Amino acid sequence: MVNKLTENELWILSFYRTSEISGALFFGRLARSMKPGLIQRDMTKHFSDESQHAWYWTSCVQRFGTLPLKLSHAYQDKYLEAAGMPANLMEVLAITQTFEKRVIAQYALHSRVPDLKPEILETFNKIMEDEKWHIEWVGEALKRMEPEYGKSYIQDTLKRYWKADKKIYGEVLKEHEDRVKDLLRYRQRTA
Amino acid sequence: MSMASRDEVRAKMAESLQHPVKKLQDDAILTDWVTDSMILVNMVIDLQEDFGIRLVQEDLKDVKTVGQLLAVFERKMSG
Ligand SMILES: [Fe+2]
Ligand SMILES: [Fe+2]
Repeated sequence: MVNKLTENELWILSFYRTSEISGALFFGRLARSMKPGLIQRDMTKHFSDESQHAWYWTSCVQRFGTLPLKLSHAYQDKYLEAAGMPANLMEVLAITQTFEKRVIAQYALHSRVPDLKPEILETFNKIMEDEKWHIEWVGEALKRMEPEYGKSYIQDTLKRYWKADKKIYGEVLKEHEDRVKDLLRYRQRTA
Repeated sequence: MSMASRDEVRAKMAESLQHPVKKLQDDAILTDWVTDSMILVNMVIDLQEDFGIRLVQEDLKDVKTVGQLLAVFERKMSG
């Protein structure tokens, strides 16, 4: 018999999938706009990774004999609302850095939940390696931008996005409290 | 910026948003043309890459329409 996902599990895996798709679409469009260079190369790989992740979540859900839910994709919009629209490439990379760190933290938290279904854990493990590289390349690109943008402008931008990220994450958790309460309970216990 | 290059920016804007350029009149509201704000971010980056200028948040603070955005580029490109 096929192991079944709970309603909350299906929702959260669908949320991850939607978020990976939004990321892929964003980086895909950006990659298309980039002039030849390292950022162009890394952004194309980033786009390809996020697309792959969306597929991993889709096939993970399918292994439980069902399909992902169609969810609203307003999360990224909320982000921009809280942090202000990034106005240049450095700001785009700064918001990316913030967002990627949030994703890693969320995936790490979820992957430590006791009795996690092995198919889900396997998917986290597959994705995590890529996510670490995302933070790495963006960090390096931001470093290379220091002469052009100035170190303090970059640091201030990162700080601004961190603040916005905290606020949005808190709001999203609150909004979907019922869906993620098992995760939250675990977070409080281990904090 | 000459008339021609203002139209060049407008044409690029249309290409990036995948909208007919004749619909991007000066008084058109930018957010009317996008389904999510990430597309707008991408368009602004796209234009900066193409025209070799850099904007900061301050520049975009009061921008609501196509004409206002064109004016920002005009200012930056002549400066
Ligand atoms: Fe991802
Ligand atoms: Fe990522």
